[in-house]
Amino acid sequence: MSKSFGESSTVLLRKIKENLDALNEKMEVFIEIQKQGQKQNFVMQDLPEALDVMTLLSLPDHLRKTAVAICKLGRATAEEVSEHTKRARAVESGYLNQLVLMGYLKKERKGRKAYFFVEK
Amino acid sequence: MGKIIAIHSYKGGTGKTLLTLNLAATYAKMEKRVCVLDMDFRAPSLQSILQLDGSEYWLNDYLNGTCDIKKVLIDYTSQCNCGGEIFVGLANPATEALRDMSSKDRKWEMRALGRLLSLKNTLLNDMELDYLLFDTSPGLQYSSINAIVSADLVLVISTIDTSDIEGTRRMTQELYDLFEKKTAILMNKVPVEFLSSSIGKDGVYKRFETVHTLPILKVIPCFCDVLRSGGITVFSRDEPDHPFTKHLEDIAAKMEKF
Repeated sequence: MSKSFGESSTVLLRKIKENLDALNEKMEVFIEIQKQGQKQNFVMQDLPEALDVMTLLSLPDHLRKTAVAICKLGRATAEEVSEHTKRARAVESGYLNQLVLMGYLKKERKGRKAYFFVEK
Repeated sequence: MGKIIAIHSYKGGTGKTLLTLNLAATYAKMEKRVCVLDMDFRAPSLQSILQLDGSEYWLNDYLNGTCDIKKVLIDYTSQCNCGGEIFVGLANPATEALRDMSSKDRKWEMRALGRLLSLKNTLLNDMELDYLLFDTSPGLQYSSINAIVSADLVLVISTIDTSDIEGTRRMTQELYDLFEKKTAILMNKVPVEFLSSSIGKDGVYKRFETVHTLPILKVIPCFCDVLRSGGITVFSRDEPDHPFTKHLEDIAAKMEKF
């Protein structure tokens, strides 16, 4: 009885942790959007075609660095991008989610990890 | 791990292809494994310069995603006969191919960038090449910018032509800086009078560095012999004592440390 209670509470705690992680990521995106003051750019009706070099050139410096890292890595987590760019994971997470909202990147969850990639 | 070097210029006719090929031959002479890819899809020239029959697969096919990069590469080691190993990848010079490459959309260019970026793994890691050289199209072409983004360092060739210097300066600031590329300038075809003027060789370097705000890797004088060679002489093999060969050896050594 106590073992089953222990197992179910572990599952519950894990679920809470996952939800908190997801919430944290969303908060990072909102903070980033607010910081950049570019909320109007994220209207989803006019999605860009591709993350080509001309598009990369048109991005602000901080997002270009993240986008180039993803182009090089192919498919990566915010942690992996942050190792590449030498910036904080939370910062990269914000930028990556911003690029997802802008339609340049795709995001896929696998377990507790979120992977970002360019859809070919 | 090896290095990818993109050789680029603002204007055409600066000597990119001749320098790329001869730099590759110089590395081969240093017993390096090197590969040259003709990324000038608007005006391919490697096939005619190297007098090769052509290829079953072109770089165009690799970028189109229809073949593996290893099928594109031609082993030029025995023809070059410069030591080391040298491979080349040709751009298709057929008019139909030129037309096809100029009509690609942004999605294709995005995939092409992905394929160029993956060469670091296939050619530098798997094939253990020491150097991969991209001979690019001049100016701000898609293929050139893709090559620059994929390269570890960029060697920009400029002449002393005022429009070339100004265009190169603008291009390095508005393109290379945005991609945080390691970049060096090579001043080519500089009249000998410049180098023997009152300001001297060091003064010439300083003057160009002030204009470009980038390191000047080398100032190469204008050699009539090089112009007369028609772009097909492999100087490190055929003219080992020529001053141009010495310049190439110096560039190769500097690029290695860059």
